[in-house]
Amino acid sequence: MDTFTEIKKILVELLDLEGGEITPETFLIKELGAESIDLLELAVAINSHFKIAVKDEEIFLTRFRLYITEATQQGKDIVFYLASKYPFLTKERTAEIIAHISEGPQLKIKDLISYITCQLQEV
Amino acid sequence: MNWKFSGTRALLLGGTCELALTLASFMIESSLFPILTYRNEEGQNVIKKALPHLEGKYDACCLDFGDRDSLDSLFSYIGDNLDFVVDFAQGNYESLIAQADGDDVHRYFSENVSFRAEILKMAGRVMLKKRKGRLVFISSTAAPRPNPGQGFYAAAKLASEALYRNMGLELGKRGITTVVLRPGYVDAGRGREYLQEQDGKILEAVPIKRAITRNEIAETILFLLSDSAAGMNATEITMDGGLSYRKGK
Repeated sequence: MDTFTEIKKILVELLDLEGGEITPETFLIKELGAESIDLLELAVAINSHFKIAVKDEEIFLTRFRLYITEATQQGKDIVFYLASKYPFLTKERTAEIIAHISEGPQLKIKDLISYITCQLQEV
Repeated sequence: MNWKFSGTRALLLGGTCELALTLASFMIESSLFPILTYRNEEGQNVIKKALPHLEGKYDACCLDFGDRDSLDSLFSYIGDNLDFVVDFAQGNYESLIAQADGDDVHRYFSENVSFRAEILKMAGRVMLKKRKGRLVFISSTAAPRPNPGQGFYAAAKLASEALYRNMGLELGKRGITTVVLRPGYVDAGRGREYLQEQDGKILEAVPIKRAITRNEIAETILFLLSDSAAGMNATEITMDGGLSYRKGK
Protein backbone atom coordinates (compact mmCIF):
# COMPACT_ATOMS: atom_id res chain seq x y z
CA MET A 1 0.00 0.00 0.00
CA ASP A 2 1.48 3.40 -0.93
CA THR A 3 1.76 6.28 1.52
CA PHE A 4 -1.20 8.18 0.05
CA THR A 5 -3.52 5.17 0.34
CA GLU A 6 -2.42 4.60 3.93
CA ILE A 7 -2.91 8.27 4.87
CA LYS A 8 -6.31 8.23 3.20
CA LYS A 9 -7.30 5.17 5.21
CA ILE A 10 -6.26 6.88 8.45
CA LEU A 11 -8.14 10.08 7.58
CA VAL A 12 -11.31 8.25 6.58
CA GLU A 13 -11.34 6.59 9.98
CA LEU A 14 -10.36 9.64 12.04
CA LEU A 15 -12.58 12.19 10.31
CA ASP A 16 -15.41 9.80 9.55
CA LEU A 17 -15.24 10.47 5.79
CA GLU A 18 -16.30 8.52 2.71
CA GLY A 19 -12.83 8.63 1.17
CA GLY A 20 -13.84 9.42 -2.39
CA GLU A 21 -13.22 13.12 -1.90
CA ILE A 22 -9.60 12.74 -0.76
CA THR A 23 -6.75 13.26 -3.22
CA PRO A 24 -3.15 14.40 -2.63
CA GLU A 25 -4.31 17.93 -3.55
CA THR A 26 -7.04 18.01 -0.88
CA PHE A 27 -6.68 20.70 1.79
CA LEU A 28 -6.69 19.05 5.20
CA ILE A 29 -8.14 21.94 7.18
CA LYS A 30 -9.90 24.04 4.54
CA GLU A 31 -11.69 21.18 2.79
CA LEU A 32 -11.80 18.26 5.21
CA GLY A 33 -12.47 20.50 8.21
CA ALA A 34 -9.80 18.94 10.43
CA GLU A 35 -9.70 20.64 13.85
CA SER A 36 -6.75 20.84 16.26
CA ILE A 37 -7.76 17.68 18.10
CA ASP A 38 -8.07 15.85 14.74
CA LEU A 39 -4.54 16.96 13.84
CA LEU A 40 -3.29 15.71 17.20
CA GLU A 41 -4.89 12.31 16.57
CA LEU A 42 -3.52 12.29 13.05
CA ALA A 43 0.01 12.92 14.35
CA VAL A 44 -0.38 10.07 16.83
CA ALA A 45 -1.75 7.76 14.11
CA ILE A 46 1.08 8.62 11.69
CA ASN A 47 3.66 8.03 14.41
CA SER A 48 2.09 4.70 15.28
CA HIS A 49 1.41 3.52 11.71
CA PHE A 50 4.67 4.52 10.02
CA LYS A 51 6.89 4.16 13.12
CA ILE A 52 8.40 7.60 12.61
CA ALA A 53 8.96 10.53 14.93
CA VAL A 54 6.38 13.24 14.25
CA LYS A 55 6.86 16.87 15.21
CA ASP A 56 3.35 18.32 15.08
CA GLU A 57 4.46 21.88 14.34
CA GLU A 58 6.55 20.67 11.40
CA ILE A 59 4.18 18.25 9.71
CA PHE A 60 1.21 20.63 10.03
CA LEU A 61 3.21 23.73 9.03
CA THR A 62 1.97 25.38 12.23
CA ARG A 63 4.61 28.13 12.26
CA PHE A 64 4.57 28.84 8.55
CA ARG A 65 3.16 32.38 8.88
CA LEU A 66 5.47 33.12 11.79
CA TYR A 67 8.50 32.12 9.70
CA ILE A 68 7.37 34.39 6.85
CA THR A 69 7.28 37.28 9.34
CA GLU A 70 10.70 36.30 10.75
CA ALA A 71 12.26 36.13 7.29
CA THR A 72 10.74 39.49 6.34
CA GLN A 73 11.93 41.16 9.55
CA GLN A 74 15.43 39.76 9.12
CA GLY A 75 15.56 40.75 5.42
CA LYS A 76 16.06 37.12 4.34
CA ASP A 77 14.83 35.37 1.21
CA ILE A 78 11.45 33.99 2.36
CA VAL A 79 11.45 30.82 0.24
CA PHE A 80 15.03 30.00 1.21
CA TYR A 81 14.28 30.65 4.89
CA LEU A 82 11.15 28.47 4.86
CA ALA A 83 12.98 25.72 2.98
CA SER A 84 15.43 25.55 5.88
CA LYS A 85 12.53 25.15 8.32
CA TYR A 86 10.59 22.65 6.21
CA PRO A 87 13.22 20.61 4.33
CA PHE A 88 10.60 18.04 3.33
CA LEU A 89 8.81 20.56 1.09
CA THR A 90 10.12 21.37 -2.39
CA LYS A 91 10.94 25.00 -3.12
CA GLU A 92 8.07 25.05 -5.65
CA ARG A 93 5.61 23.84 -3.06
CA THR A 94 6.90 26.34 -0.49
CA ALA A 95 6.48 29.18 -3.01
CA GLU A 96 2.97 27.95 -3.83
CA ILE A 97 1.96 28.02 -0.17
CA ILE A 98 3.38 31.53 0.28
CA ALA A 99 1.47 32.74 -2.78
CA HIS A 100 -1.85 31.49 -1.40
CA ILE A 101 -1.31 31.95 2.34
CA SER A 102 -3.92 34.71 2.58
CA GLU A 103 -6.59 32.24 1.39
CA GLY A 104 -6.50 30.21 4.62
CA PRO A 105 -4.62 27.12 5.82
CA GLN A 106 -2.71 25.67 2.85
CA LEU A 107 -1.81 22.26 4.28
CA LYS A 108 -2.53 19.54 1.74
CA ILE A 109 -2.47 15.76 1.96
CA LYS A 110 0.59 15.75 -0.31
CA ASP A 111 2.49 17.77 2.33
CA LEU A 112 1.87 15.00 4.87
CA ILE A 113 3.11 12.48 2.31
CA SER A 114 6.27 14.55 1.77
CA TYR A 115 6.92 14.69 5.53
CA ILE A 116 6.41 10.96 5.99
CA THR A 117 8.56 10.09 2.97
CA CYS A 118 11.33 12.33 4.27
CA GLN A 119 11.16 10.83 7.77
CA LEU A 120 11.12 7.28 6.41
CA GLN A 121 14.27 8.01 4.41
CA GLU A 122 15.99 9.23 7.58
CA VAL A 123 15.00 6.04 9.40
CA MET B 1 -15.42 -2.87 46.34
CA ASN B 2 -16.91 -3.87 43.03
CA TRP B 3 -16.06 -0.96 40.79
CA LYS B 4 -15.97 -1.64 37.06
CA PHE B 5 -12.86 -0.42 35.27
CA SER B 6 -12.29 0.24 31.56
CA GLY B 7 -8.73 -1.01 31.47
CA THR B 8 -6.10 -2.56 33.68
CA ARG B 9 -2.73 -0.86 33.36
CA ALA B 10 -2.17 2.10 35.67
CA LEU B 11 0.91 4.29 35.88
CA LEU B 12 1.48 5.49 39.45
CA LEU B 13 3.82 8.50 39.37
CA GLY B 14 5.67 9.02 42.63
CA GLY B 15 5.12 5.33 43.29
CA THR B 16 7.26 5.15 46.42
CA CYS B 17 5.04 7.27 48.68
CA GLU B 18 2.83 5.58 51.24
CA LEU B 19 -0.40 6.55 49.45
CA ALA B 20 0.81 5.16 46.12
CA LEU B 21 1.87 1.90 47.74
CA THR B 22 -1.49 1.57 49.49
CA LEU B 23 -3.29 2.26 46.23
CA ALA B 24 -1.09 -0.28 44.43
CA SER B 25 -2.10 -3.06 46.82
CA PHE B 26 -5.79 -2.10 46.46
CA MET B 27 -5.38 -2.10 42.69
CA ILE B 28 -3.86 -5.56 42.70
CA GLU B 29 -6.83 -6.78 44.76
CA SER B 30 -9.10 -5.26 42.10
CA SER B 31 -7.19 -7.05 39.30
CA LEU B 32 -5.59 -3.86 38.03
CA PHE B 33 -1.90 -3.77 37.10
CA PRO B 34 -0.04 -0.87 38.72
CA ILE B 35 3.27 0.39 37.31
CA LEU B 36 4.98 2.36 40.07
CA THR B 37 7.72 4.86 39.33
CA TYR B 38 10.74 5.35 41.56
CA ARG B 39 13.57 7.83 41.39
CA ASN B 40 16.50 5.76 42.66
CA GLU B 41 17.53 2.36 43.98
CA GLU B 42 16.33 3.22 47.45
CA GLY B 43 12.85 3.88 46.05
CA GLN B 44 12.95 0.63 44.11
CA ASN B 45 13.64 -1.25 47.36
CA VAL B 46 10.83 0.58 49.17
CA ILE B 47 8.38 -0.72 46.55
CA LYS B 48 9.71 -4.29 46.74
CA LYS B 49 9.43 -4.27 50.52
CA ALA B 50 5.92 -2.78 50.56
CA LEU B 51 4.48 -5.25 48.04
CA PRO B 52 5.95 -8.62 49.08
CA HIS B 53 4.99 -11.85 47.31
CA LEU B 54 3.22 -9.95 44.56
CA GLU B 55 5.80 -10.29 41.79
CA GLY B 56 4.16 -10.35 38.38
CA LYS B 57 1.14 -8.44 39.64
CA TYR B 58 2.79 -5.06 39.40
CA ASP B 59 5.86 -3.48 37.88
CA ALA B 60 8.22 -0.72 38.90
CA CYS B 61 10.11 1.64 36.58
CA CYS B 62 12.61 4.40 37.09
CA LEU B 63 11.42 7.93 36.37
CA ASP B 64 13.50 10.86 37.47
CA PHE B 65 11.49 14.09 37.13
CA GLY B 66 13.70 16.34 35.06
CA ASP B 67 15.46 13.50 33.20
CA ARG B 68 13.98 13.13 29.72
CA ASP B 69 15.90 9.93 29.03
CA SER B 70 14.15 8.22 31.93
CA LEU B 71 10.81 9.48 30.57
CA ASP B 72 11.57 8.05 27.11
CA SER B 73 12.57 4.71 28.68
CA LEU B 74 9.39 4.62 30.73
CA PHE B 75 7.17 5.18 27.71
CA SER B 76 9.16 2.71 25.60
CA TYR B 77 8.30 0.15 28.25
CA ILE B 78 4.65 1.25 28.40
CA GLY B 79 4.25 1.13 24.60
CA ASP B 80 0.61 1.43 23.57
CA ASN B 81 -0.66 -0.11 26.75
CA LEU B 82 -1.78 2.47 29.30
CA ASP B 83 -5.27 2.96 30.70
CA PHE B 84 -4.82 5.05 33.85
CA VAL B 85 -2.43 7.54 35.41
CA VAL B 86 -2.43 8.45 39.09
CA ASP B 87 0.02 11.22 39.83
CA PHE B 88 1.36 11.46 43.39
CA ALA B 89 4.71 12.95 42.42
CA GLN B 90 5.64 16.23 44.07
CA GLY B 91 8.96 17.64 45.12
CA ASN B 92 9.01 19.41 48.44
CA TYR B 93 10.30 22.96 48.56
CA GLU B 94 9.49 25.28 51.41
CA SER B 95 10.70 28.84 51.41
CA LEU B 96 9.36 32.31 51.89
CA ILE B 97 8.97 33.88 48.44
CA ALA B 98 11.26 36.76 49.32
CA GLN B 99 13.91 34.35 50.54
CA ALA B 100 13.96 31.79 47.73
CA ASP B 101 17.07 30.99 45.73
CA GLY B 102 16.51 31.73 42.02
CA ASP B 103 18.15 28.54 40.76
CA ASP B 104 16.14 26.42 43.20
CA VAL B 105 12.93 28.06 42.02
CA HIS B 106 13.73 27.41 38.35
CA ARG B 107 14.62 23.80 39.02
CA TYR B 108 11.53 23.26 41.17
CA PHE B 109 9.11 24.50 38.53
CA SER B 110 11.00 22.76 35.76
CA GLU B 111 10.72 19.40 37.54
CA ASN B 112 7.26 19.80 39.05
CA VAL B 113 5.39 21.65 36.30
CA SER B 114 7.20 21.59 32.94
CA PHE B 115 8.29 17.97 33.24
CA ARG B 116 4.78 16.98 34.30
CA ALA B 117 3.44 18.62 31.12
CA GLU B 118 5.80 16.39 29.12
CA ILE B 119 4.54 13.30 30.94
CA LEU B 120 0.95 14.34 30.24
CA LYS B 121 1.74 14.88 26.57
CA MET B 122 3.17 11.38 26.26
CA ALA B 123 0.42 9.71 28.28
CA GLY B 124 -2.24 11.59 26.32
CA ARG B 125 -0.78 10.48 23.00
CA VAL B 126 -0.69 6.84 24.10
CA MET B 127 -4.28 7.05 25.33
CA LEU B 128 -5.46 8.74 22.12
CA LYS B 129 -4.61 5.57 20.21
CA LYS B 130 -7.25 3.71 22.21
CA ARG B 131 -9.47 6.75 22.60
CA LYS B 132 -9.80 6.11 26.28
CA GLY B 133 -7.94 6.91 29.46
CA ARG B 134 -8.40 8.29 32.93
CA LEU B 135 -5.94 10.47 34.82
CA VAL B 136 -6.08 11.47 38.47
CA PHE B 137 -3.81 14.14 39.90
CA ILE B 138 -3.28 14.11 43.64
CA SER B 139 -3.10 17.71 44.72
CA SER B 140 -3.64 19.12 48.18
CA THR B 141 -5.84 21.57 50.07
CA ALA B 142 -2.61 23.50 50.55
CA ALA B 143 -2.77 24.35 46.84
CA PRO B 144 -5.66 26.83 47.21
CA ARG B 145 -4.93 27.55 50.91
CA PRO B 146 -1.21 27.44 51.61
CA ASN B 147 0.59 28.40 54.79
CA PRO B 148 3.52 30.84 54.72
CA GLY B 149 6.48 29.06 53.13
CA GLN B 150 4.27 26.91 50.90
CA GLY B 151 3.98 29.40 48.04
CA PHE B 152 6.09 27.43 45.59
CA TYR B 153 4.46 24.14 46.50
CA ALA B 154 1.01 25.73 46.06
CA ALA B 155 1.97 27.38 42.78
CA ALA B 156 3.33 24.12 41.35
CA LYS B 157 0.25 22.20 42.50
CA LEU B 158 -2.18 24.77 41.07
CA ALA B 159 -0.27 24.88 37.78
CA SER B 160 -0.31 21.09 37.59
CA GLU B 161 -4.01 21.03 38.43
CA ALA B 162 -4.59 23.39 35.50
CA LEU B 163 -2.66 21.08 33.17
CA TYR B 164 -4.75 18.10 34.22
CA ARG B 165 -8.04 19.99 34.01
CA ASN B 166 -7.21 21.26 30.53
CA MET B 167 -6.28 17.80 29.38
CA GLY B 168 -9.79 16.66 30.33
CA LEU B 169 -11.21 19.68 28.55
CA GLU B 170 -9.23 19.06 25.38
CA LEU B 171 -9.41 15.28 25.12
CA GLY B 172 -12.70 14.56 26.87
CA LYS B 173 -14.48 14.02 23.57
CA ARG B 174 -11.91 11.38 22.74
CA GLY B 175 -12.66 9.43 25.91
CA ILE B 176 -9.73 10.76 27.95
CA THR B 177 -10.80 12.41 31.18
CA THR B 178 -9.13 13.85 34.25
CA VAL B 179 -9.91 14.66 37.83
CA VAL B 180 -7.96 16.32 40.63
CA LEU B 181 -8.17 15.11 44.21
CA ARG B 182 -7.24 17.55 46.98
CA PRO B 183 -6.73 15.71 50.25
CA GLY B 184 -6.46 17.68 53.49
CA TYR B 185 -4.58 16.38 56.55
CA VAL B 186 -3.67 12.79 55.79
CA ASP B 187 -2.28 10.27 58.24
CA ALA B 188 0.50 9.18 55.90
CA GLY B 189 3.94 10.32 54.74
CA ARG B 190 4.71 14.02 55.14
CA GLY B 191 1.18 14.63 56.47
CA ARG B 192 1.76 12.26 59.37
CA GLU B 193 5.06 13.95 60.22
CA TYR B 194 3.31 17.32 60.27
CA LEU B 195 0.47 16.05 62.44
CA GLN B 196 2.97 14.57 64.88
CA GLU B 197 4.85 17.86 65.04
CA GLN B 198 1.58 19.62 65.87
CA ASP B 199 0.78 16.97 68.46
CA GLY B 200 -2.65 16.40 66.93
CA LYS B 201 -3.92 19.84 68.02
CA ILE B 202 -4.43 20.94 64.46
CA LEU B 203 -7.10 18.29 63.99
CA GLU B 204 -9.36 20.15 66.44
CA ALA B 205 -10.20 22.50 63.57
CA VAL B 206 -11.28 19.65 61.29
CA PRO B 207 -15.06 19.12 61.55
CA ILE B 208 -14.68 15.31 61.58
CA LYS B 209 -11.93 15.69 64.26
CA ARG B 210 -9.48 13.36 62.61
CA ALA B 211 -7.09 13.03 59.69
CA ILE B 212 -8.05 11.29 56.47
CA THR B 213 -6.63 7.77 56.36
CA ARG B 214 -4.50 6.41 53.55
CA ASN B 215 -7.07 3.68 52.94
CA GLU B 216 -9.79 6.29 52.45
CA ILE B 217 -7.62 8.09 49.91
CA ALA B 218 -6.81 4.87 48.04
CA GLU B 219 -10.47 3.78 47.96
CA THR B 220 -11.52 7.20 46.68
CA ILE B 221 -8.91 7.09 43.93
CA LEU B 222 -10.11 3.64 42.90
CA PHE B 223 -13.64 5.02 42.67
CA LEU B 224 -12.39 7.99 40.62
CA LEU B 225 -10.72 5.57 38.21
CA SER B 226 -13.86 3.47 37.87
CA ASP B 227 -16.51 3.78 35.17
CA SER B 228 -18.95 5.05 37.84
CA ALA B 229 -16.94 8.29 38.18
CA ALA B 230 -16.48 8.94 34.45
CA GLY B 231 -18.83 11.92 34.57
CA MET B 232 -16.37 13.79 36.79
CA ASN B 233 -14.05 15.46 34.32
CA ALA B 234 -11.76 18.50 34.36
CA THR B 235 -12.63 19.26 37.94
CA GLU B 236 -11.28 18.96 41.47
CA ILE B 237 -12.62 17.23 44.54
CA THR B 238 -11.71 18.20 48.08
CA MET B 239 -11.35 15.49 50.70
CA ASP B 240 -10.47 17.23 53.94
CA GLY B 241 -13.14 16.32 56.46
CA GLY B 242 -14.76 19.72 55.94
CA LEU B 243 -11.78 21.87 57.00
CA SER B 244 -11.71 24.14 53.94
CA TYR B 245 -15.33 25.18 54.38
CA ARG B 246 -14.73 26.36 57.92
CA LYS B 247 -14.32 30.03 58.70
CA GLY B 248 -10.94 30.89 60.21
CA LYS B 249 -8.64 28.38 61.89
